[in-house]
Amino acid sequence: MALNYVIKYAATNVYENLVGEALWQFLIAPLNSGSQQIISSEFRNSLQIPVEKSINGYGFETFRIHPKKSFTSIDFEAEFHLIKDHINPFEKTNASNLEDEFSQLNSLNFKVEHATFLKSTALTKLPKWHEIDFIYSEEVSIFENMKNLNLWIFDGFSFKTDVTDVDTDLDIILEEKQGVCQDFTHLFCAIARSHNIPARYVSGYLHQGNGYFGDSQMHAWAEVFIPGCGWIGFDPTNNLIAAENHIKVAHGKDYSDCPPIKGIVYTSGTNQTTYSVEVNAQQNAQQ
Amino acid sequence: MLARVANNLFWMGRYIERSEHVARYLNVNYFSSLDAPNELSQSRQFVLRSMLFMASDPVTDPNIQLDEGQVLFDIALNKDKPDSIINYLQYARENANSARDLISTELYESLNKFYHYTLNYPPEKFMKSGLYEFTVHVAESTSILRAKVRGTLLHDDVYSIIMLGINIERATQIIRIINAKYNDANLAGGSYGDQLKNSYEWTTLLKCAESYDMMRRYYKKAPRSLTTLEFLILNPNCPRSIMNSLNQVSKHISDLSHSKNPDKNSAEFLVGKVRAEYEYKSIEEIEEDLQGFIEKILKTLNDIAKKIEIEYFL
Amino acid sequence: MKLNTNQPSFSSYQRDNHFYDEIFSENNEVKEVYKTLLNLYSEHTVQDFARLNEKAKASFFNQGITFQVYGEHETKEKIFPFDLFPRIIDHKEWSHIERGVLQRSKALNHFLWDIYHDKKILRQGIVPLDLINSSANYLDQMQGLNPPGGIYNHISGTDLIKHSDGKYYVLEDNIRCPSGVSYVICNRTALKRALFGVFNHYQTHTVTDYAENLLEIMESVKPRGVDVPTCVVITPGIYNSAYYEHSYLAKAMGVELVEGRDLFVENDFVYMRTINGAQKVDVIYRRIDDVFMDPLEFRPDSTLGVPGLLAAYKLGNVCLVNAPGTGVADDKAIYTYMPQIIKYYLGEEPILNNVHTYHCNRPDELKYVLENIENLVIKPVDEAGGYGISIGNKLTKEEIEKVKTVIKENPRKYIAQPIMSLSVHATYIEDSQSFEPRHVDLRTFCLLGKDKSFVLKGGLTRVALKKGNLIVNSSQGGGSKDTWVLKK
Repeated sequence: MALNYVIKYAATNVYENLVGEALWQFLIAPLNSGSQQIISSEFRNSLQIPVEKSINGYGFETFRIHPKKSFTSIDFEAEFHLIKDHINPFEKTNASNLEDEFSQLNSLNFKVEHATFLKSTALTKLPKWHEIDFIYSEEVSIFENMKNLNLWIFDGFSFKTDVTDVDTDLDIILEEKQGVCQDFTHLFCAIARSHNIPARYVSGYLHQGNGYFGDSQMHAWAEVFIPGCGWIGFDPTNNLIAAENHIKVAHGKDYSDCPPIKGIVYTSGTNQTTYSVEVNAQQNAQQ
Repeated sequence: MLARVANNLFWMGRYIERSEHVARYLNVNYFSSLDAPNELSQSRQFVLRSMLFMASDPVTDPNIQLDEGQVLFDIALNKDKPDSIINYLQYARENANSARDLISTELYESLNKFYHYTLNYPPEKFMKSGLYEFTVHVAESTSILRAKVRGTLLHDDVYSIIMLGINIERATQIIRIINAKYNDANLAGGSYGDQLKNSYEWTTLLKCAESYDMMRRYYKKAPRSLTTLEFLILNPNCPRSIMNSLNQVSKHISDLSHSKNPDKNSAEFLVGKVRAEYEYKSIEEIEEDLQGFIEKILKTLNDIAKKIEIEYFL
Repeated sequence: MKLNTNQPSFSSYQRDNHFYDEIFSENNEVKEVYKTLLNLYSEHTVQDFARLNEKAKASFFNQGITFQVYGEHETKEKIFPFDLFPRIIDHKEWSHIERGVLQRSKALNHFLWDIYHDKKILRQGIVPLDLINSSANYLDQMQGLNPPGGIYNHISGTDLIKHSDGKYYVLEDNIRCPSGVSYVICNRTALKRALFGVFNHYQTHTVTDYAENLLEIMESVKPRGVDVPTCVVITPGIYNSAYYEHSYLAKAMGVELVEGRDLFVENDFVYMRTINGAQKVDVIYRRIDDVFMDPLEFRPDSTLGVPGLLAAYKLGNVCLVNAPGTGVADDKAIYTYMPQIIKYYLGEEPILNNVHTYHCNRPDELKYVLENIENLVIKPVDEAGGYGISIGNKLTKEEIEKVKTVIKENPRKYIAQPIMSLSVHATYIEDSQSFEPRHVDLRTFCLLGKDKSFVLKGGLTRVALKKGNLIVNSSQGGGSKDTWVLKK
């Protein structure tokens, strides 16, 4: 069963003083691959500046806007239509031999292959001094371990906005036991990587239909690479396995590789940014 | 050529030219005042005020007692004053630095030496005995620099841009000098019947513009207000006149634009328009309202520079 | 012919047999290539040299061939001291060096291609994966990208020294933005002016062909579909310590010297703002570091770079010289694997020797380093310009303890090498107004392009002007010598 999605992204930036020059890069377009098929993609702004399409450093599609006249306020609006296939992550995970699975993780070839998503970054660095009581076991499959990790974070940490920001270290998250989806995803990646399991940070949209945490903003979850299965998404914020409700935009080592918006703005004074996301789904009638 | 670098070269030309006029103004006014025919023209305070009027901000409050050493130091060598000669040379050198790949080694080396000479000139010496030596050195060095511009650069865009800067600045400085000396003449009066017309300050004015000898040769009479102004504003053959500078600006801007029919909002069009106006202007018309004329021509020069900036430097 | 200390200009020359002397052999005999030069120099008086030295200094200063020294309070403009005694390298010795640096340069290029593609050398465990993983200079964004012509390190600067055994050793390979080539050319010009007579007696290779070769190399890596590429040099600006070099190279190649703000990216192509509007740029010789290159991808506060440059590069619309991410291979820890890297990719034995290196991240080697610190040079793996180097036999007891603590805190950050005794060369010393032996090294310059390579026949002989000092970097008070490579 596939779903038809309509995703609306809107943002408004207001500046106290005139902006002489600015450049924004948006990483918000859903990925057009795998289980996602983009039907249409539109991006507008209130200053009618032509939108350029480009890529970020990891090859994900971006929109760029480069106003040539000065302004004090600008609105952005994007609308994406896509079809998302129904996914059953459990299908892929009928893991074969446990010993094989774990021994692969320790092979040099595997470590080289996935080096990018095995190294720790500033945002996914586990503080040495902090005890982590998550129990990792080679008695069960990697998939089971990751499900347990998902639950461990979901149970042990509470969702709370405005207590952390995009570059909060894991020390603080582990200490305060609260945060938002970025923080939980960073923690998830960090712990997975510490067990030699490649893990990447995913930025995307969550279909809010069923009252999950996501707060009508862009969402984040993790993908881990399980030998024999490939990349599987885990959403520790909601204790879910990413499936048809998770619409992926991009991935990276951590948040800093894929923030939805990057801007270089030359102005003085304060500014205010507001943005909202709306995700609507319909059963695809044709299938 | 890069727009930013063109802007820098334009300003390099302007600062080099500006430093010359300021230096000569100091020199001529100081030394000609020493034996000026009337009392006011001889007064230290009067001369120092004239210098400040021309080189930076006029001091209008009559109660302020100016310190000679300080005024001279501020205008020539004070690094904390944005409009000192030493800072003009520093700006010029910085501008040249950003275009080192475009200008000749000879030009750069001359400017660099000139800058270091100024930088290392002892302020005590300057204020005690070096005023003449220093200001003459500045004037001579700027001549050398102009010769290097003319003689060691390909006469292409780079050359045109520098010459535009030099000539716009020259016209601007000549007008500023006229303004300052007109102001002095008004205050001092002359020693003969019609005071303003025959003021001693007109001779000083011509000397400030290094045009006294040329003027004497052309008119064969002692300078009066009318002939002095006519010579410095309208005579196209006087290399320091406004008219001559405008002709130069016009030539270099058309070399740069390569266009036969300049757009009517362009700098080139405006220069042509102003030139045409002054070609058929009489000095009597100008003298009727000299103050008005000075303000108008300064604004026009400013407009030309602004248009050049928008068209070429952004 | 022997060293003659009765001659005033050599009166304070003290031979020290602990070091290889480039001019005098162990029994004070003048070496063959220097005989003519010494004869000619003996015709000059001490005063001649003092005068020539002053003249040369003034010429550098007036031409603005200077660099900035950043002090605590003020920035000073200084000349890079130039020495009147040239270093001479004969044809045979040079051809060994030339083959050696080209070999390294090519091997490094293979290595870079590999670690940004299949990573075979890592999979086979020849170079430890850890070294790459922990390197801040490895750019994940470069993975899978094919730079035009397959070239990463278009420009390499390999530093060599001659040890007391008379053999050349490589100290390091600089493949980010090696600088110094402008001084090679200025030194030659200055020496020609000062002592033109001596050139008539030697057949020396020119060094002025560097710029034309650099331009050819740049043009050889033009993006696909470009007929005649527009090349530029990008500089951080006039306050950069190497600004003179940037402007020299742009001028000598006849290309624009741009700053980040002169360039912009539109629809993934790069343009420069000129007085006649936007002009497309195809090849950029960049003299700004990776992290400042593109604020959208790297340091967001960088005003030196060009937003969108990396995407334009990834899409093949512009070529960057050197490629981003080359820094991973001139890491001092990678250096120690160079013999293996050369063998792996080229199937050849290394032509030039590597200095033996102890890795502080290996427990057994760390132990050796901590126990033998007074016989070792300790270097941070990722500092340029000679900063952070400790020379064991120059440290006090307290300093040794301090260094030990620092190493133990972060062993991955440090390597150690035996103290190499850099060879000495006669150098004009202002204080004594005569020639004295001083330590020297040699920076070579090697260019790699598509189907083309070039090694500059000459180099920058850097000299430590302080007696006994082994650090030759200009920021640490070093000077330089004209370096002659003889045709025969």
